[in-house]
Amino acid sequence: MNDRDFIIGAGGVTFSFLIYWFMGHPFFIIERIVMFIAIMTFTGTLLFFIRKARRGEEIFLREIPGLKAVEEAVGRSTEMGKPVLFVPGIMDMDQVETVAGVIVLGHVSKMTARYETTLNVPVSRAIVMKAAQDVCKESYLMEGRPDMFHEDMVHYLTDEQFAYAAGVNGIMVREKPAACMYMGKFYAESLILAETGNSIGAIQIAGTASQAQIPFFVTACDYTLIGEEFFAASAYLSQRPELIGGIKGQDMIKIIIIGMIIGGVVLRFLHDGGMIDFNILEFLTVR
Amino acid sequence: MLWKRQIPILIVAVIGSITLFGWFINEPNIKSFVDDDATQWFDILASFAIFLGGFNLLKMQLQKIFRRQRGWQYSIFAIAGFFLAITAGFFYKGNPDVAWGTHVTADGTLFKWIFTYMFAPLQATMFALLAFFVASASYRAFRIRNFEATLLLVSGIIIMIGRVPLGSFISSWFILYLLVLIGGITVNSFFKNKQYTAIFVIVGIIVVTAAGSSLGWPLDQPGILYLPYLQEWIYKYPNVAGARSIMMGIGMGIFATSIRYILGIEKSYIGE
Repeated sequence: MNDRDFIIGAGGVTFSFLIYWFMGHPFFIIERIVMFIAIMTFTGTLLFFIRKARRGEEIFLREIPGLKAVEEAVGRSTEMGKPVLFVPGIMDMDQVETVAGVIVLGHVSKMTARYETTLNVPVSRAIVMKAAQDVCKESYLMEGRPDMFHEDMVHYLTDEQFAYAAGVNGIMVREKPAACMYMGKFYAESLILAETGNSIGAIQIAGTASQAQIPFFVTACDYTLIGEEFFAASAYLSQRPELIGGIKGQDMIKIIIIGMIIGGVVLRFLHDGGMIDFNILEFLTVR
Repeated sequence: MLWKRQIPILIVAVIGSITLFGWFINEPNIKSFVDDDATQWFDILASFAIFLGGFNLLKMQLQKIFRRQRGWQYSIFAIAGFFLAITAGFFYKGNPDVAWGTHVTADGTLFKWIFTYMFAPLQATMFALLAFFVASASYRAFRIRNFEATLLLVSGIIIMIGRVPLGSFISSWFILYLLVLIGGITVNSFFKNKQYTAIFVIVGIIVVTAAGSSLGWPLDQPGILYLPYLQEWIYKYPNVAGARSIMMGIGMGIFATSIRYILGIEKSYIGE
Protein backbone atom coordinates (compact mmCIF):
# COMPACT_ATOMS: atom_id res chain seq x y z
CA MET A 1 0.00 0.00 0.00
CA ASN A 2 1.49 3.34 -1.04
CA ASP A 3 0.98 6.69 0.70
CA ARG A 4 -1.89 7.68 -1.55
CA ASP A 5 -3.81 4.46 -0.89
CA PHE A 6 -3.12 4.78 2.83
CA ILE A 7 -4.44 8.35 2.97
CA ILE A 8 -7.50 7.38 0.93
CA GLY A 9 -8.13 4.39 3.23
CA ALA A 10 -7.70 6.39 6.44
CA GLY A 11 -9.79 9.24 5.07
CA GLY A 12 -12.50 6.79 4.00
CA VAL A 13 -12.68 5.23 7.45
CA THR A 14 -12.80 8.66 9.14
CA PHE A 15 -15.42 9.94 6.69
CA SER A 16 -17.58 6.83 7.16
CA PHE A 17 -17.41 7.20 10.91
CA LEU A 18 -18.35 10.89 10.70
CA ILE A 19 -21.37 10.05 8.52
CA TYR A 20 -22.34 7.33 11.00
CA TRP A 21 -21.90 9.81 13.86
CA PHE A 22 -24.00 12.55 12.30
CA MET A 23 -26.70 10.03 11.41
CA GLY A 24 -27.27 9.64 15.13
CA HIS A 25 -24.69 6.90 15.74
CA PRO A 26 -27.16 4.03 16.33
CA PHE A 27 -25.99 1.23 18.72
CA PHE A 28 -22.88 3.20 19.70
CA ILE A 29 -22.30 3.28 23.46
CA ILE A 30 -21.71 6.99 23.86
CA GLU A 31 -20.20 6.63 27.39
CA ARG A 32 -17.26 4.81 25.81
CA ILE A 33 -16.38 7.49 23.30
CA VAL A 34 -13.21 8.53 25.19
CA MET A 35 -11.87 4.99 24.99
CA PHE A 36 -12.84 4.79 21.32
CA ILE A 37 -11.01 8.03 20.51
CA ALA A 38 -7.98 6.84 22.52
CA ILE A 39 -7.87 3.54 20.57
CA MET A 40 -8.19 5.30 17.23
CA THR A 41 -5.51 7.87 18.15
CA PHE A 42 -3.11 5.21 19.36
CA THR A 43 -3.75 3.03 16.30
CA GLY A 44 -3.16 6.05 14.06
CA THR A 45 0.10 6.85 15.85
CA LEU A 46 1.26 3.25 15.49
CA LEU A 47 0.41 3.14 11.81
CA PHE A 48 2.10 6.48 11.19
CA PHE A 49 5.41 5.25 12.60
CA ILE A 50 5.12 1.85 10.96
CA ARG A 51 4.75 3.61 7.60
CA LYS A 52 7.65 5.91 8.42
CA ALA A 53 9.83 2.88 9.12
CA ARG A 54 8.66 1.16 5.94
CA ARG A 55 9.72 4.22 3.94
CA GLY A 56 13.23 3.57 5.16
CA GLU A 57 13.58 6.08 7.98
CA GLU A 58 16.16 4.91 10.46
CA ILE A 59 14.68 4.19 13.87
CA PHE A 60 16.80 3.77 16.95
CA LEU A 61 15.97 0.74 19.04
CA ARG A 62 17.70 0.66 22.41
CA GLU A 63 19.64 -2.43 23.29
CA ILE A 64 17.66 -4.94 25.33
CA PRO A 65 20.15 -7.15 27.21
CA GLY A 66 17.68 -10.03 27.51
CA LEU A 67 17.20 -10.25 23.77
CA LYS A 68 20.85 -9.77 23.01
CA ALA A 69 21.48 -12.70 25.33
CA VAL A 70 19.23 -15.04 23.33
CA GLU A 71 21.88 -15.65 20.70
CA GLU A 72 24.53 -15.86 23.41
CA ALA A 73 22.46 -18.54 25.18
CA VAL A 74 22.04 -20.58 22.01
CA GLY A 75 25.77 -20.22 21.31
CA ARG A 76 26.55 -21.42 24.82
CA SER A 77 24.35 -24.47 24.33
CA THR A 78 26.14 -25.22 21.07
CA GLU A 79 29.55 -25.01 22.71
CA MET A 80 28.47 -27.24 25.57
CA GLY A 81 26.70 -29.69 23.26
CA LYS A 82 23.52 -29.42 25.31
CA PRO A 83 19.97 -28.63 24.24
CA VAL A 84 18.06 -25.37 24.44
CA LEU A 85 14.81 -25.60 26.38
CA PHE A 86 12.00 -23.26 25.38
CA VAL A 87 8.84 -23.01 27.50
CA PRO A 88 6.02 -21.03 25.81
CA GLY A 89 3.94 -20.60 28.98
CA ILE A 90 0.99 -22.60 30.18
CA MET A 91 -1.87 -20.87 28.41
CA ASP A 92 -3.50 -21.36 25.04
CA MET A 93 -3.24 -19.41 21.79
CA ASP A 94 -6.10 -17.13 22.83
CA GLN A 95 -3.62 -15.29 25.05
CA VAL A 96 -1.54 -12.63 23.36
CA GLU A 97 1.50 -13.56 25.51
CA THR A 98 1.41 -17.13 24.17
CA VAL A 99 1.30 -15.84 20.60
CA ALA A 100 4.22 -13.51 21.38
CA GLY A 101 6.08 -16.47 22.93
CA VAL A 102 5.52 -18.61 19.84
CA ILE A 103 6.83 -15.76 17.67
CA VAL A 104 9.99 -15.56 19.78
CA LEU A 105 10.27 -19.33 19.45
CA GLY A 106 10.40 -18.83 15.69
CA HIS A 107 13.49 -16.65 16.08
CA VAL A 108 15.09 -18.98 18.61
CA SER A 109 14.52 -21.99 16.36
CA LYS A 110 16.21 -20.13 13.50
CA MET A 111 19.26 -19.75 15.73
CA THR A 112 19.23 -23.39 16.81
CA ALA A 113 18.97 -24.39 13.15
CA ARG A 114 21.90 -22.12 12.27
CA TYR A 115 24.05 -23.42 15.12
CA GLU A 116 22.85 -27.02 14.76
CA THR A 117 21.75 -27.16 18.37
CA THR A 118 19.04 -29.39 19.80
CA LEU A 119 15.82 -27.59 20.67
CA ASN A 120 13.28 -28.94 23.14
CA VAL A 121 9.88 -27.29 23.43
CA PRO A 122 7.50 -28.94 25.93
CA VAL A 123 4.04 -27.38 25.66
CA SER A 124 0.93 -27.53 27.79
CA ARG A 125 -1.71 -26.96 25.11
CA ALA A 126 -2.35 -28.97 21.97
CA ILE A 127 -3.10 -25.91 19.81
CA VAL A 128 0.14 -24.29 20.96
CA MET A 129 1.92 -27.53 20.04
CA LYS A 130 0.65 -27.36 16.45
CA ALA A 131 1.43 -23.65 16.11
CA ALA A 132 4.90 -24.09 17.60
CA GLN A 133 5.63 -27.10 15.35
CA ASP A 134 4.68 -25.07 12.27
CA VAL A 135 6.76 -22.11 13.36
CA CYS A 136 9.81 -24.27 14.07
CA LYS A 137 9.42 -26.19 10.83
CA GLU A 138 9.38 -22.98 8.86
CA SER A 139 12.40 -21.59 10.71
CA TYR A 140 14.41 -24.71 9.92
CA LEU A 141 13.31 -24.50 6.28
CA MET A 142 14.27 -20.84 6.08
CA GLU A 143 17.68 -21.57 7.52
CA GLY A 144 18.16 -24.31 4.93
CA ARG A 145 18.20 -27.10 7.52
CA PRO A 146 14.91 -29.02 7.03
CA ASP A 147 16.86 -32.22 7.74
CA MET A 148 17.41 -31.09 11.31
CA PHE A 149 13.76 -30.49 12.01
CA HIS A 150 11.70 -33.22 13.60
CA GLU A 151 8.19 -32.72 14.92
CA ASP A 152 9.04 -34.21 18.30
CA MET A 153 11.18 -31.23 19.23
CA VAL A 154 7.82 -29.63 20.12
CA HIS A 155 5.89 -32.06 22.27
CA TYR A 156 2.83 -32.02 24.44
CA LEU A 157 3.02 -32.78 28.16
CA THR A 158 -0.27 -31.96 29.87
CA ASP A 159 -2.81 -29.18 30.29
CA GLU A 160 -2.51 -29.29 34.07
CA GLN A 161 -0.42 -26.52 35.60
CA PHE A 162 1.64 -28.38 38.19
CA ALA A 163 1.79 -31.62 36.24
CA TYR A 164 3.30 -29.57 33.43
CA ALA A 165 5.75 -27.94 35.86
CA ALA A 166 6.73 -31.41 37.10
CA GLY A 167 7.21 -32.64 33.53
CA VAL A 168 9.37 -29.67 32.53
CA ASN A 169 11.38 -29.99 35.75
CA GLY A 170 11.98 -33.64 34.93
CA ILE A 171 13.25 -32.72 31.47
CA MET A 172 15.55 -30.10 33.00
CA VAL A 173 17.00 -32.45 35.56
CA ARG A 174 17.49 -35.33 33.11
CA GLU A 175 18.70 -33.44 30.03
CA LYS A 176 20.40 -30.53 31.78
CA PRO A 177 19.87 -27.96 29.02
CA ALA A 178 22.47 -25.22 28.81
CA ALA A 179 19.85 -22.56 28.12
CA CYS A 180 16.28 -22.27 29.38
CA MET A 181 13.89 -19.73 27.93
CA TYR A 182 10.49 -18.96 29.40
CA MET A 183 8.42 -16.81 27.08
CA GLY A 184 4.68 -16.66 27.52
CA LYS A 185 2.02 -16.51 30.19
CA PHE A 186 2.91 -18.02 33.53
CA TYR A 187 1.35 -18.41 36.93
CA ALA A 188 2.61 -20.01 40.15
CA GLU A 189 4.77 -22.54 38.28
CA SER A 190 7.11 -19.77 37.12
CA LEU A 191 9.35 -19.95 40.19
CA ILE A 192 9.35 -23.76 40.24
CA LEU A 193 10.62 -23.78 36.66
CA ALA A 194 13.08 -20.92 37.04
CA GLU A 195 14.60 -22.20 40.29
CA THR A 196 15.06 -25.68 38.85
CA GLY A 197 16.73 -24.12 35.80
CA ASN A 198 18.93 -22.14 38.12
CA SER A 199 19.90 -25.24 40.07
CA ILE A 200 21.16 -27.00 36.93
CA GLY A 201 23.29 -23.97 36.02
CA ALA A 202 21.50 -23.10 32.79
CA ILE A 203 21.56 -19.59 31.39
CA GLN A 204 17.98 -18.44 31.78
CA ILE A 205 16.00 -15.84 29.86
CA ALA A 206 12.40 -15.10 30.72
CA GLY A 207 9.80 -12.90 29.13
CA THR A 208 6.29 -12.46 30.40
CA ALA A 209 3.50 -9.98 30.79
CA SER A 210 2.21 -11.77 33.90
CA GLN A 211 2.91 -8.99 36.35
CA ALA A 212 2.86 -11.16 39.47
CA GLN A 213 5.48 -13.52 38.03
CA ILE A 214 8.00 -10.87 36.95
CA PRO A 215 9.69 -10.64 40.41
CA PHE A 216 10.20 -14.41 40.47
CA PHE A 217 11.78 -14.41 37.04
CA VAL A 218 13.94 -11.39 37.88
CA THR A 219 15.22 -13.24 40.93
CA ALA A 220 15.87 -16.63 39.37
CA CYS A 221 16.76 -15.83 35.76
CA ASP A 222 19.83 -14.19 34.24
CA TYR A 223 17.75 -11.94 32.01
CA THR A 224 14.11 -10.97 32.16
CA LEU A 225 12.06 -9.20 29.53
CA ILE A 226 9.66 -7.12 31.56
CA GLY A 227 6.23 -6.50 30.10
CA GLU A 228 6.52 -4.47 26.93
CA GLU A 229 10.11 -5.61 26.29
CA PHE A 230 8.66 -9.06 25.76
CA PHE A 231 6.29 -7.77 23.10
CA ALA A 232 9.15 -5.87 21.47
CA ALA A 233 11.13 -9.10 21.17
CA SER A 234 9.81 -9.97 17.74
CA ALA A 235 10.78 -6.54 16.37
CA TYR A 236 14.19 -6.68 18.01
CA LEU A 237 15.03 -10.17 16.84
CA SER A 238 13.64 -9.84 13.32
CA GLN A 239 14.80 -6.21 12.78
CA ARG A 240 11.90 -5.82 10.38
CA PRO A 241 11.27 -2.09 9.81
CA GLU A 242 7.48 -2.24 10.18
CA LEU A 243 7.80 -3.94 13.57
CA ILE A 244 10.50 -1.54 14.75
CA GLY A 245 8.27 1.31 13.58
CA GLY A 246 5.55 -0.11 15.82
CA ILE A 247 7.91 0.06 18.81
CA LYS A 248 8.65 3.71 18.04
CA GLY A 249 4.89 4.28 17.79
CA GLN A 250 4.47 2.70 21.21
CA ASP A 251 7.04 5.08 22.65
CA MET A 252 5.19 8.02 21.15
CA ILE A 253 1.94 6.77 22.67
CA LYS A 254 3.75 6.59 25.99
CA ILE A 255 4.72 10.25 25.64
CA ILE A 256 1.07 11.09 24.92
CA ILE A 257 0.01 9.12 28.01
CA ILE A 258 2.63 10.80 30.20
CA GLY A 259 1.34 14.18 28.97
CA MET A 260 -2.22 13.08 29.73
CA ILE A 261 -1.25 11.94 33.24
CA ILE A 262 0.42 15.30 33.98
CA GLY A 263 -2.50 17.18 32.44
CA GLY A 264 -4.95 15.01 34.38
CA VAL A 265 -3.20 15.71 37.68
CA VAL A 266 -3.28 19.48 37.00
CA LEU A 267 -6.97 19.38 36.00
CA ARG A 268 -7.86 17.30 39.05
CA PHE A 269 -5.92 19.73 41.25
CA LEU A 270 -7.82 22.67 39.74
CA HIS A 271 -11.14 20.82 40.16
CA ASP A 272 -10.45 19.94 43.77
CA GLY A 273 -9.38 23.54 44.42
CA GLY A 274 -12.74 24.72 43.11
CA MET A 275 -11.21 26.61 40.19
CA ILE A 276 -12.92 24.60 37.44
CA ASP A 277 -16.05 22.48 37.22
CA PHE A 278 -14.65 19.96 34.74
CA ASN A 279 -14.01 16.63 36.49
CA ILE A 280 -11.33 14.71 34.61
CA LEU A 281 -11.99 11.53 36.60
CA GLU A 282 -15.63 11.57 35.58
CA PHE A 283 -14.60 12.15 31.98
CA LEU A 284 -12.03 9.36 31.84
CA THR A 285 -13.90 6.71 33.81
CA VAL A 286 -14.79 3.86 31.47
CA ARG A 287 -18.33 2.57 31.89
CA MET B 1 -0.99 -19.96 -0.14
CA LEU B 2 -4.49 -18.50 -0.02
CA TRP B 3 -5.62 -21.04 2.57
CA LYS B 4 -2.40 -20.92 4.57
CA ARG B 5 -1.92 -17.15 4.65
CA GLN B 6 -4.60 -14.82 3.33
CA ILE B 7 -7.60 -16.64 4.81
CA PRO B 8 -6.11 -17.00 8.34
CA ILE B 9 -5.04 -13.34 8.30
CA LEU B 10 -8.55 -12.34 7.18
CA ILE B 11 -10.10 -14.43 9.97
CA VAL B 12 -7.81 -12.79 12.54
CA ALA B 13 -8.59 -9.32 11.18
CA VAL B 14 -12.37 -9.82 11.11
CA ILE B 15 -12.71 -11.59 14.47
CA GLY B 16 -10.18 -9.21 16.08
CA SER B 17 -12.03 -6.14 14.79
CA ILE B 18 -15.41 -7.48 15.92
CA THR B 19 -13.98 -8.26 19.36
CA LEU B 20 -12.33 -4.85 19.68
CA PHE B 21 -15.07 -2.65 18.27
CA GLY B 22 -17.91 -4.85 19.53
CA TRP B 23 -17.21 -3.39 22.95
CA PHE B 24 -18.42 -0.01 21.70
CA ILE B 25 -21.56 -1.34 20.06
CA ASN B 26 -24.75 -2.02 21.96
CA GLU B 27 -26.05 -4.80 19.73
CA PRO B 28 -27.07 -8.09 21.41
CA ASN B 29 -25.88 -10.37 18.60
CA ILE B 30 -22.39 -8.88 18.51
CA LYS B 31 -22.26 -8.86 22.29
CA SER B 32 -23.25 -12.52 22.54
CA PHE B 33 -20.75 -13.43 19.81
CA VAL B 34 -17.89 -11.66 21.58
CA ASP B 35 -18.80 -12.78 25.11
CA ASP B 36 -20.02 -16.34 24.48
CA ASP B 37 -19.89 -17.72 20.95
CA ALA B 38 -16.28 -16.86 20.09
CA THR B 39 -14.96 -18.29 23.35
CA GLN B 40 -17.12 -21.40 22.93
CA TRP B 41 -15.76 -21.90 19.42
CA PHE B 42 -12.29 -21.73 20.83
CA ASP B 43 -13.16 -24.22 23.57
CA ILE B 44 -14.60 -26.63 20.99
CA LEU B 45 -11.48 -26.34 18.85
CA ALA B 46 -9.28 -26.86 21.89
CA SER B 47 -11.30 -29.93 22.90
CA PHE B 48 -10.68 -31.56 19.53
CA ALA B 49 -7.04 -30.52 19.62
CA ILE B 50 -6.58 -32.50 22.84
CA PHE B 51 -6.52 -35.65 20.69
CA LEU B 52 -3.43 -34.30 18.95
CA GLY B 53 -1.84 -33.64 22.31
CA GLY B 54 -2.81 -37.02 23.72
CA PHE B 55 -1.46 -38.95 20.76
CA ASN B 56 1.73 -36.91 20.81
CA LEU B 57 2.21 -37.65 24.50
CA LEU B 58 1.61 -41.35 23.93
CA LYS B 59 4.00 -41.44 20.97
CA MET B 60 6.76 -39.67 22.87
CA GLN B 61 6.46 -41.90 25.93
CA LEU B 62 6.32 -45.11 23.88
CA GLN B 63 9.39 -44.02 21.90
CA LYS B 64 11.18 -43.43 25.18
CA ILE B 65 10.40 -46.94 26.39
CA PHE B 66 11.26 -48.69 23.13
CA ARG B 67 14.51 -46.78 22.71
CA ARG B 68 15.39 -47.23 26.39
CA GLN B 69 16.09 -43.51 26.70
CA ARG B 70 17.23 -42.04 29.99
CA GLY B 71 14.43 -42.22 32.57
CA TRP B 72 12.31 -44.55 30.41
CA GLN B 73 10.90 -46.19 33.52
CA TYR B 74 8.94 -43.04 34.30
CA SER B 75 7.28 -43.31 30.91
CA ILE B 76 5.66 -46.57 32.01
CA PHE B 77 3.92 -44.68 34.79
CA ALA B 78 2.91 -41.93 32.37
CA ILE B 79 1.32 -44.41 29.95
CA ALA B 80 -0.30 -46.39 32.76
CA GLY B 81 -1.78 -43.17 34.16
CA PHE B 82 -2.96 -42.16 30.71
CA PHE B 83 -4.89 -45.37 30.16
CA LEU B 84 -6.16 -45.53 33.73
CA ALA B 85 -7.65 -42.04 33.38
CA ILE B 86 -9.25 -42.94 30.02
CA THR B 87 -10.69 -46.14 31.48
CA ALA B 88 -12.09 -44.31 34.49
CA GLY B 89 -13.45 -41.53 32.29
CA PHE B 90 -15.04 -43.53 29.47
CA PHE B 91 -15.32 -47.23 30.29
CA TYR B 92 -15.53 -48.00 34.00
CA LYS B 93 -17.39 -45.84 36.51
CA GLY B 94 -16.73 -47.97 39.56
CA ASN B 95 -20.21 -47.09 40.90
CA PRO B 96 -23.21 -48.31 38.87
CA ASP B 97 -25.62 -45.95 40.68
CA VAL B 98 -24.00 -42.88 39.21
CA ALA B 99 -24.89 -41.71 35.70
CA TRP B 100 -22.30 -41.30 32.97
CA GLY B 101 -21.15 -37.71 32.84
CA THR B 102 -21.72 -36.96 36.50
CA HIS B 103 -19.33 -39.77 37.40
CA VAL B 104 -16.36 -37.38 37.03
CA THR B 105 -17.47 -35.37 40.05
CA ALA B 106 -19.67 -37.83 41.99
CA ASP B 107 -18.28 -39.56 45.08
CA GLY B 108 -17.60 -43.28 44.97
CA THR B 109 -16.49 -43.42 41.34
CA LEU B 110 -13.07 -44.47 40.12
CA PHE B 111 -12.50 -41.15 38.36
CA LYS B 112 -13.25 -39.14 41.50
CA TRP B 113 -11.06 -41.49 43.54
CA ILE B 114 -8.15 -40.96 41.14
CA PHE B 115 -8.69 -37.21 41.33
CA THR B 116 -8.93 -37.05 45.11
CA TYR B 117 -6.33 -39.57 46.14
CA MET B 118 -3.79 -39.44 43.32
CA PHE B 119 -4.04 -36.25 41.32
CA ALA B 120 -4.79 -33.72 44.08
CA PRO B 121 -1.97 -34.87 46.43
CA LEU B 122 0.53 -34.90 43.57
CA GLN B 123 -0.52 -31.40 42.57
CA ALA B 124 -0.37 -30.22 46.18
CA THR B 125 3.14 -31.67 46.45
CA MET B 126 4.30 -29.64 43.46
CA PHE B 127 2.64 -26.53 44.82
CA ALA B 128 4.23 -27.08 48.22
CA LEU B 129 7.65 -27.13 46.61
CA LEU B 130 7.06 -23.47 45.89
CA ALA B 131 7.66 -22.62 49.55
CA PHE B 132 11.23 -23.95 49.35
CA PHE B 133 11.83 -22.26 46.03
CA VAL B 134 10.57 -18.95 47.44
CA ALA B 135 13.07 -19.31 50.29
CA SER B 136 16.02 -19.95 47.98
CA ALA B 137 14.93 -17.20 45.58
CA SER B 138 14.51 -14.73 48.46
CA TYR B 139 17.96 -15.54 49.71
CA ARG B 140 19.38 -14.73 46.28
CA ALA B 141 17.31 -11.57 45.90
CA PHE B 142 18.16 -10.24 49.35
CA ARG B 143 21.92 -10.74 49.09
CA ILE B 144 23.55 -7.33 49.47
CA ARG B 145 25.38 -6.73 46.19
CA ASN B 146 24.63 -3.12 45.37
CA PHE B 147 22.51 -0.16 46.40
CA GLU B 148 19.34 -1.48 44.73
CA ALA B 149 19.68 -4.91 46.35
CA THR B 150 20.19 -3.24 49.75
CA LEU B 151 17.11 -1.11 49.19
CA LEU B 152 15.15 -4.25 48.32
CA LEU B 153 16.43 -6.00 51.42
CA VAL B 154 15.52 -3.11 53.73
CA SER B 155 12.06 -2.68 52.13
CA GLY B 156 11.48 -6.43 52.30
CA ILE B 157 12.40 -6.60 55.97
CA ILE B 158 10.20 -3.59 56.81
CA ILE B 159 7.23 -5.08 54.96
CA MET B 160 7.69 -8.54 56.44
CA ILE B 161 8.05 -7.32 60.02
CA GLY B 162 5.46 -4.58 59.64
CA ARG B 163 2.80 -7.03 58.46
CA VAL B 164 3.05 -9.42 61.42
CA PRO B 165 1.77 -8.70 64.97
CA LEU B 166 5.34 -8.44 66.25
CA GLY B 167 5.86 -5.36 64.06
CA SER B 168 3.25 -3.35 65.94
CA PHE B 169 5.12 -3.93 69.22
CA ILE B 170 8.37 -2.47 67.90
CA SER B 171 8.58 1.15 68.94
CA SER B 172 9.47 3.93 66.52
CA TRP B 173 12.19 4.93 68.99
CA PHE B 174 13.91 1.61 68.57
CA ILE B 175 14.00 2.27 64.82
CA LEU B 176 15.39 5.75 65.54
CA TYR B 177 18.21 4.24 67.63
CA LEU B 178 18.89 1.82 64.76
CA LEU B 179 19.02 4.75 62.34
CA VAL B 180 21.54 6.51 64.56
CA LEU B 181 23.75 3.40 64.49
CA ILE B 182 23.37 3.06 60.69
CA GLY B 183 24.22 6.76 60.41
CA GLY B 184 27.32 6.07 62.51
CA ILE B 185 28.41 3.37 60.07
CA THR B 186 27.88 5.77 57.17
CA VAL B 187 29.86 8.55 58.91
CA ASN B 188 32.66 6.12 59.68
CA SER B 189 32.87 4.81 56.13
CA PHE B 190 32.78 8.35 54.76
CA PHE B 191 35.26 10.14 57.08
CA LYS B 192 37.20 7.10 58.34
CA ASN B 193 37.61 8.87 61.68
CA LYS B 194 36.66 7.15 64.97
CA GLN B 195 36.19 10.44 66.83
CA TYR B 196 33.67 11.75 64.34
CA THR B 197 31.84 8.45 64.45
CA ALA B 198 31.77 8.38 68.26
CA ILE B 199 30.56 12.00 68.41
CA PHE B 200 27.82 11.31 65.85
CA VAL B 201 26.59 8.18 67.64
CA ILE B 202 26.71 9.70 71.14
CA VAL B 203 25.00 12.93 70.09
CA GLY B 204 22.40 10.91 68.15
CA ILE B 205 21.64 8.66 71.13
CA ILE B 206 21.38 11.66 73.48
CA VAL B 207 19.04 13.53 71.11
CA VAL B 208 16.79 10.49 70.59
CA THR B 209 16.72 9.71 74.33
CA ALA B 210 15.93 13.32 75.21
CA ALA B 211 13.17 13.52 72.59
CA GLY B 212 11.74 10.19 73.71
CA SER B 213 11.75 11.15 77.38
CA SER B 214 10.10 14.49 76.74
CA LEU B 215 7.34 12.91 74.59
CA GLY B 216 6.74 9.90 76.85
CA TRP B 217 8.04 7.25 74.44
CA PRO B 218 4.82 6.80 72.41
CA LEU B 219 5.00 3.48 70.52
CA ASP B 220 3.75 4.80 67.18
CA GLN B 221 5.37 8.24 67.18
CA PRO B 222 7.05 9.52 65.05
CA GLY B 223 4.62 7.72 62.70
CA ILE B 224 7.02 7.62 59.76
CA LEU B 225 9.21 5.16 61.69
CA TYR B 226 6.42 2.97 63.08
CA LEU B 227 6.75 -0.25 61.09
CA PRO B 228 3.02 -0.96 60.44
CA TYR B 229 2.60 2.56 59.04
CA LEU B 230 5.90 2.50 57.19
CA GLN B 231 5.19 -0.85 55.50
CA GLU B 232 1.77 0.38 54.46
CA TRP B 233 3.30 3.49 52.92
CA ILE B 234 5.91 1.43 51.03
CA TYR B 235 3.22 -0.98 49.88
CA LYS B 236 0.76 1.71 48.79
CA TYR B 237 3.02 4.28 47.17
CA PRO B 238 6.48 3.30 45.83
CA ASN B 239 5.32 -0.27 45.20
CA VAL B 240 2.08 0.74 43.46
CA ALA B 241 3.88 3.39 41.40
CA GLY B 242 6.37 0.82 40.10
CA ALA B 243 3.71 -1.84 39.55
CA ARG B 244 1.43 0.54 37.67
CA SER B 245 4.17 1.71 35.35
CA ILE B 246 4.92 -1.93 34.50
CA MET B 247 1.20 -2.56 34.08
CA MET B 248 0.86 0.38 31.70
CA GLY B 249 3.83 -0.87 29.70
CA ILE B 250 2.27 -4.33 29.52
CA GLY B 251 -1.06 -2.86 28.45
CA MET B 252 0.66 -0.80 25.80
CA GLY B 253 2.58 -3.84 24.56
CA ILE B 254 -0.58 -5.97 24.40
CA PHE B 255 -2.47 -3.21 22.60
CA ALA B 256 0.27 -2.61 20.02
CA THR B 257 0.78 -6.34 19.45
CA SER B 258 -2.96 -6.94 19.05
CA ILE B 259 -3.27 -4.09 16.56
CA ARG B 260 -0.33 -5.55 14.60
CA TYR B 261 -2.10 -8.92 14.46
CA ILE B 262 -5.49 -7.42 13.53
CA LEU B 263 -4.02 -5.29 10.76
CA GLY B 264 -1.89 -8.14 9.47
CA ILE B 265 1.38 -6.30 10.10
CA GLU B 266 2.73 -9.11 12.31
CA LYS B 267 2.29 -12.44 10.58
CA SER B 268 5.04 -14.49 12.16
CA TYR B 269 2.52 -16.59 14.12
CA ILE B 270 1.42 -18.26 10.88
CA GLY B 271 4.90 -18.30 9.41
CA GLU B 272 6.76 -15.86 7.26
